[in-house]
Amino acid sequence: MTTPLIEAEDIAKSFAVRPTPFATRKTLKAVDGVTLQIRPGETLGLAGESGCGKSTVGKILMGLLEPDGGTIRFRGKDLESATKDERAAFRKDVQMIFQDPFSSLNPRMRVGEIIGEPLAIHRLVPNEGHRKKVLELMGMVGLSAEQINRYPHEFSGGQRQRIGIARALAVSPKLIVADEPVSALDLSIQAQIINLLDELKKTLGLSYLFIAHDLTVVRYFADRIAVIHQGELKELAETDELFERPLHPYTRSLLSAVPIPDPDLEKAKILMIYDPSLHDYDKEKPQWREIFPGHFVQANSREAAEYANMYP
Amino acid sequence: MPDLLTVRGLTTRFRLAEGDVHAVNGIDFSVAEGETVAVVGESGCGKSVTALSLLRLILPPGTIASGEIIFEGQDLLRLSEDEMRRIRGNRIAMIFQEPMTSLNPVFPIGRQIAEGLIIHRGLSRHEALEEAAQLLAQVGIPSPADRLNDYPHQLSGGMRQRVMIAMALACKPRLIIADEPTTALDVTIQAQILELMDRLREENRMALMLITHDLGVVAERADRTLVMYAGRIVEEGPTHELLSSPFHPYTEGLLASLPQRSEPGRPLTTIPGHVPSLLEEIPGCGFCSRCPDKQWECGQEQPQLKEIAPGHRVRCWKYR
Repeated sequence: MTTPLIEAEDIAKSFAVRPTPFATRKTLKAVDGVTLQIRPGETLGLAGESGCGKSTVGKILMGLLEPDGGTIRFRGKDLESATKDERAAFRKDVQMIFQDPFSSLNPRMRVGEIIGEPLAIHRLVPNEGHRKKVLELMGMVGLSAEQINRYPHEFSGGQRQRIGIARALAVSPKLIVADEPVSALDLSIQAQIINLLDELKKTLGLSYLFIAHDLTVVRYFADRIAVIHQGELKELAETDELFERPLHPYTRSLLSAVPIPDPDLEKAKILMIYDPSLHDYDKEKPQWREIFPGHFVQANSREAAEYANMYP
Repeated sequence: MPDLLTVRGLTTRFRLAEGDVHAVNGIDFSVAEGETVAVVGESGCGKSVTALSLLRLILPPGTIASGEIIFEGQDLLRLSEDEMRRIRGNRIAMIFQEPMTSLNPVFPIGRQIAEGLIIHRGLSRHEALEEAAQLLAQVGIPSPADRLNDYPHQLSGGMRQRVMIAMALACKPRLIIADEPTTALDVTIQAQILELMDRLREENRMALMLITHDLGVVAERADRTLVMYAGRIVEEGPTHELLSSPFHPYTEGLLASLPQRSEPGRPLTTIPGHVPSLLEEIPGCGFCSRCPDKQWECGQEQPQLKEIAPGHRVRCWKYR
């Protein structure tokens, strides 16, 4: 197997919750024991509900947050022991696209400056080539050259997201962490941006960590999907495998809750509600287990046996 | 079923320094008793302005320029502000999208639910709080009597939305207008809230006007669906027919751009371009600049809503 582009092994992150008059100081485990890999050219979907820790995982992989425990390896190299130059290269190779195209662009900068800034920071192109490169990036994401001097407020949500994508692409990254990149957009615009991301993936050989709560978008876009709940990975499998043979009860409840825009299928659907108390984890703690080749699930040995026979 | 609400020619404008924004342009529709009608469309299509207009909650610089809103036999646009206040929350209730901003953060939830009961039904404070606890139980909040003194920040998003629903139900309205009631919620909570709204609607024989951009939610819940684009209704019909055989190119485009209806690996179908500015009055069809089936007259003259199958109407020059 090829070396994964990026690997997270058993990463954990807690946040101290500040004491308020109503609650004493405590820590919140945002991410606990998450292990995953992203291969070159692959899109890994990270799906879960709000507060489950999916954005924290994204920020740790970006190097924006230091994990409390575990290791991150980029192209096989442990970031902890990386030199300053290696870290700088890592920061260039991993870029982010944000959810809200309204708050993630500086309203006082022109489009050309926004897209050109990373080029200047990483000193990637000589001054005379700067403008040409910015225009090239704008063309890649479907913005026209005459828009270079406009400000973000002059653009619609979908176009702003294109600006954010161009800025991420400026430094020719290998991995893009896309945190809910289309959830703030209207349906018809959403499709345009997904197509753009897909096209860029093919032409530039990018890998994505695609973080989303909307399973239908993840299903369309991701090669493999990891499902996260309360800071822990529950299940990870190839996209079709996960939808055809979901094992973990949380994954199954998530799939059952997605509304289907087809009245006949929708009426036949049965809603399942996940009840964490059905696990017998007081008897035996769960582990991250591979039930079918490439299909991982958090389970103890009793559950593992049950899951293995779930789809005869 | 007789019509509970009939809207004719409703037009709402916002007078801005740059010019008039034609947010809602002469829309006609009706809601029958006990029926669920969905209004779908993208941001800026006028669906929320329509909802606010029905309750006359449009604030300056917005005005309702013309039209009729006949509810239980009377035209709401002809009522005085006092008479209108007796309708809001009592005969027509509204559930807003963001439960955090639409609940008052400085009052306990029990008091907020009780307020409507005291004003509209003349209950005493004590009776109203008792009823509030029952309502909380109805919307599935555990140990409701203890929750009455909780403040909104002590509840999760799903629980707050349940409180909003309890408030809307308090006076047993005939019509509930829900503006994106589950958009801020996670899918599993969304499914529970929609299930709950549907059950309570049936029990109390209310009509529901469900404003949403999520076609999955529409398929699940609505009897009839209205599709809005650029301030107009472009298609209207029984949900099943509308989703399985849409007539308007915009509805077709929306359905085609759903990731569920595309094969993985193939590019998604998109609608090119973007929603037109509502600052200028559009002479022809609002969708024509993005329409794959555009004909010469599309940009010249506004097509009319035309019934082409039982109960299924479409506003498009393709059908004449």
